[in-house]
Amino acid sequence: MKNFEYLEPRTVAEAVFLLTEYGDEAKVLAGGTDLIVQMKLKKQTPKYLVNIKKISDLDYIRYDNKFLRIGALTTFSALAQSTMIQENFSILMDSVRAVGPLQIRNRGTIAGNLCHASPSADTAPSLLALDARVKTVSLGEERMIPIKEFFKGPFATCLKAGELLTEILVPSIPSNTGGTYLWLPKKTAVDETLVGVATLVTLDVNGVCDDVKIGLGSVAPTPIRAEKAEKLLHKKKIEDGLLSEVGEMAVDEAAPRSRAEYRAKMVSVLVVRALKESVRKVVSHMRN
Amino acid sequence: MKCLIRLKVNGETYEIAVEPRKTLLDVIRNEIGLTGTKKGCNMGECGACTVLLDGKAVCSCLVLGVEADRREVITIEGLGNGVHPDPLQEAFVKHGAIQCGFCTPGMIMTARKLLDENPSPSEEEVREAICGNLCRCTGYVKIVEAVLDVARSEKGGRDAGLLSHR
Ligand code: FES
Ligand code: FES
Repeated sequence: MKNFEYLEPRTVAEAVFLLTEYGDEAKVLAGGTDLIVQMKLKKQTPKYLVNIKKISDLDYIRYDNKFLRIGALTTFSALAQSTMIQENFSILMDSVRAVGPLQIRNRGTIAGNLCHASPSADTAPSLLALDARVKTVSLGEERMIPIKEFFKGPFATCLKAGELLTEILVPSIPSNTGGTYLWLPKKTAVDETLVGVATLVTLDVNGVCDDVKIGLGSVAPTPIRAEKAEKLLHKKKIEDGLLSEVGEMAVDEAAPRSRAEYRAKMVSVLVVRALKESVRKVVSHMRN
Repeated sequence: MKCLIRLKVNGETYEIAVEPRKTLLDVIRNEIGLTGTKKGCNMGECGACTVLLDGKAVCSCLVLGVEADRREVITIEGLGNGVHPDPLQEAFVKHGAIQCGFCTPGMIMTARKLLDENPSPSEEEVREAICGNLCRCTGYVKIVEAVLDVARSEKGGRDAGLLSHR
């Protein structure tokens, strides 16, 4: 690892000041499970490392029935233990469970997972389906960025130098809605996700689709929404023929590079499977 | 430039000047001289470097030494020794869950943490818990047996367990 100057701001304002001062030469350290690896590989060689873990009020999970708010320092372990998320945002819990072994969950943060912007980030498809947004703070400015606009390319986000992601906001899920995240791992030491699919389905009382959102991970330069596939289901009843069309449309929207044929095939398989599972969840809810 | 850090390792306090780029793993092994914690991949993939940081299992190769300032670390040396081994250490020997032994310290740290939190895990739960600890030799079967054996005989980890003696 290249040497760097280590900084420990105590407040968001202090962190933003340092990030502004040092611009592109600075990197934010949260859990470090991605960044420290990148630094060892010399893919990242920051001159200034700004550890934000000493900022006291960034580690929280709150829900006020309108928004779920997750502070930037919340670890995957904390999320995995949250019964509130399990009960109200099970699609997000599916994603959290897909993340690494315990040692990684204990350190890694969901905000860091987003900022690292790996095309295969497991939380991204669910957050896309949930229409989440992230809050950022920079000198004299706050931004609310829809997650759909956050990723700009492989390992690239729309964050500007001097800007700190402080919170992830997830709007509450309407009633009669079910969601699922399904994924297939590469069988390697770290089981990176090869294809990840999140679907969120809202049905009306007649079982017609009021709203459908489909998030795809690891099959394009960034995590994406399959919006054309979503449109096919709008105001339609979900049935097998239509579902396979939707799966094919999602394949069209994906652009996998390596193992393209297999990944494409799996997109359609998982999209269909996830939609069925989501519908099953809504229906069993309606019955209860 | 070096930073002065103070950390507790296995109950003992150390004050050390470290370069910020040194990982906790390197600090434990090279500065403090406790070489039970192993460096396998050095990339957060194999779990050989697992220690407990403020009671949580982490890969010490993914933590900077400076981040451990004013924190508490437990390494394999803190669990037991040749004279007073941890029941898990005994069970690993008894079951032949050790071949080259390189994964063993990390494996035992993770298993200890599991048993302290979940005294009677299922086989599935043991396998899930150690999924971040790779073993190239044993094929895991004997490791899982050893952990389950301890769970059965301890019925809940040692009474004077890791979590209670700290
Ligand atoms: S040495 Fe740390 S995970 Fe392999
Ligand atoms: S005993 Fe050799 S790696 Fe596990």
